Amino acid sequence: MKKWVPIATGLLAGFVAATISFADFSHSTKTAAIDSSTKSDAEKVYVPLGKKDDYYLFASGGHSGQLFVYGVPSMRQIRTVPIFSPDSATGYGYDKETKKMLGGYTWGDFHHPAISETNGDYNGKFLFATDVANSRAAVMDLKTFTTKDIIKVPNTSGPHCAAFVTQNTEYLFLPTRFSVPVGQKYEPLDNYSKKYRGVMSALTFDQKKEKLNIAYQVALPPWSYDLSDAGKKESGDWAVMSTYNTEEATTTMEINASQADRDYIVLFNWKELAKMVKEGKYEDVGGQKMIYPEKQKGGIYLVPVAKSPHGVDVTPDGKQFIASGKLAPSMTVFSFKKAFEAIKNKEFAGERNGIPVLQYKKVMEREVNPENALGPLHTQFDDKGMAYTTMFISSEIVKWNPKTGDVLDRVPVQYSPGHSVAAEGDTASPDGKYLIALNKLSKDTYLSVGPSHPESMQLIDISGKKMRVIDTVPANPEPHYAQMIKADKIHTINVYPKDPTNKDAVYKQSDTKIVRKGNEVHVYGIAMRSRFIFDSKAKRPDEINVNQGDHVFIHLTNIDFDEDITHGFAINQYDLDMEVQPGQTNTLEFTADKAGTFPLYCTNFCSALHQEMNGYFLVKPKQ
Amino acid sequence: MVNLNGKKLSVVSSLILACSAVFIGLSLFFPWWRLLLYAPQYPEGLNIIVYPNKLEGQIDIINGLNHYIGMANFDEKSFPELSYMSYLVGGLAVLTLLVGLLRRKSFLYMLIGLFLVGGLIGFFDLYHALHTFGTHLSLKAPIKIKPFVPPMVGENHFANFTTHSYLGKGAYFVVLAFILTLIPIWKDRK
Repeated sequence: MKKWVPIATGLLAGFVAATISFADFSHSTKTAAIDSSTKSDAEKVYVPLGKKDDYYLFASGGHSGQLFVYGVPSMRQIRTVPIFSPDSATGYGYDKETKKMLGGYTWGDFHHPAISETNGDYNGKFLFATDVANSRAAVMDLKTFTTKDIIKVPNTSGPHCAAFVTQNTEYLFLPTRFSVPVGQKYEPLDNYSKKYRGVMSALTFDQKKEKLNIAYQVALPPWSYDLSDAGKKESGDWAVMSTYNTEEATTTMEINASQADRDYIVLFNWKELAKMVKEGKYEDVGGQKMIYPEKQKGGIYLVPVAKSPHGVDVTPDGKQFIASGKLAPSMTVFSFKKAFEAIKNKEFAGERNGIPVLQYKKVMEREVNPENALGPLHTQFDDKGMAYTTMFISSEIVKWNPKTGDVLDRVPVQYSPGHSVAAEGDTASPDGKYLIALNKLSKDTYLSVGPSHPESMQLIDISGKKMRVIDTVPANPEPHYAQMIKADKIHTINVYPKDPTNKDAVYKQSDTKIVRKGNEVHVYGIAMRSRFIFDSKAKRPDEINVNQGDHVFIHLTNIDFDEDITHGFAINQYDLDMEVQPGQTNTLEFTADKAGTFPLYCTNFCSALHQEMNGYFLVKPKQ
Repeated sequence: MVNLNGKKLSVVSSLILACSAVFIGLSLFFPWWRLLLYAPQYPEGLNIIVYPNKLEGQIDIINGLNHYIGMANFDEKSFPELSYMSYLVGGLAVLTLLVGLLRRKSFLYMLIGLFLVGGLIGFFDLYHALHTFGTHLSLKAPIKIKPFVPPMVGENHFANFTTHSYLGKGAYFVVLAFILTLIPIWKDRK
């Protein structure tokens, strides 16, 4: 009797202790859901030291000509990447290669970034940018976050309607906001309708050489092309873009381009256009292959839409495209399938400027008009196919179902959103989770900095049925559009690998040298913590001596193959600055036109003895 | 038949010696010694990994940092041992195999002797290298620190660095090989 008492008590105590320690009393299936809804807004955006963000946000920098890189959900700005404008912080536009790439331009106006795609999904390899101000396109390598190529596109002026890539990055399209005469020759505005064209360019990208190339151009009617999107899946060979000023007005556009009740969505088949070019159905215009739609028929159609639409966005399944009214308070959902049938059956309502016009009612699926929602501009999508449209005038985001037209939720934003961007929200498989409203006005939101204020980005949690603004951060002018990509799709390098084929590179201190060829001086130097060596055998290895008028090339290699150990190189009074990232070789090319003594130094803080990292550039005066 | 006059090794011992030779040979393909350095700016650690015939790890970065304290550059050229070590180790493996084939106890004693001498020279060589690099610091170095000798195995602190020294897999294989050479003596004792 007595013996089992301690045994039983012991066992019981053991079980109790084990249960308390290890048993899971929570209903685990529900825990996650409860967690996300009970987390405070602050907890949802807090990314502590040691942890990293889930998404990269690539926001265009508008007329700064730059790209802003943020982490989401922390909304911390990680990097500014110069693309169309020089940037002394990184020496961009000062060293030989980037100076040449900028082509003498001092600024750009970057609106719509586009990440390269595979099967309609971001592949995380490259980011394309276009410049409305000076008609250029650029590509940035996402291994190094640096601009690799910039191309000037002729016959067109202001590719605002760009850039969008086809679903396997076959083409990058640049339709234009402004129409100009081909070749941009002088032509009085009275001849606008006859002589002006809204030229769209099709660019290809060589991934190996990292070079952009113009494949062909299309001389569209002299209208303004506003925004565009590539088809997906069943509509993968097609693309859509919105138009305004089909009135072909030439002055006071605000009034005169807003007269017609209907403008158009241009629907085109890029595979058919490529085929036409292959078959020689184009005209040679100053070396460019130009398709004139009224002469080389096929592949391009017009869909009437409520006047002056702004955004046009393809649903993730590729079945529909949605035009946002801007001046009409509605979103119009069109069916690709219906459009394809109408094209097949040649059910046209006549032609405009030689291009067949489809019948509105035959292609339109539904008009969605949320009550008092004004100024719909752009639409993004979540993982369930729900649409999120920005309302510029009524300052809100409207969540709705494109399949039924039901309005599901609305949330106010501060203030006047242009685009919004959802996590991979314009791809064939959006992630849901986050949407960021890119607001044009912040006004009273932050500490005042005078009459003008920063732009404002608002992070919205879209994981539940109801949207919720969880963070608000200022941004420099001016994120127009952005791309939000899962962080694990980006694979950066830590250091530039040695390049034995680069004749300007020097990787050993003992190989440094200064070579004179006539009046050309080539310096093959290295930067390392914490010194420059231009000629290891010289009395002073960190001294460069030239004669006034010499043409100087300074080739500098950073031989610190150590992540984040970046060196800069500047010559006082010579307005010169460049950067050499770990392992990188860069060149400064200039004429030593000023005689005198000029200190040179490292501009990018590199080590405890950074302040000692300097030398002299001596220019002997002409006799 | 076996151990006729107590000078011959058994077949099992012979096999054990063959195993020992294999481990010696194998050790050539693994690091023998490793130094791992941590600094606030290098939480991921910097490595010096020593093989019998080469150095691996972030040698260039470590050299770059070491010049601040005036330490000499180390690379494969500053260690002539690396050019012939693998032949010595290979030779030892062949000798061990030969002793196993010849099965003469006296040869085994000589082999063990060779092992001990080689091992001692090896340890001395490593200590000498650590001592030389740690104490011959340039007088013109921008940052002056006290000369130091990092331990062959264990932890050390200098400037902003914490170092951890370890024996590598290769060294353990050699120790194992050495123990294997001792087993026949015990096994074939009279």
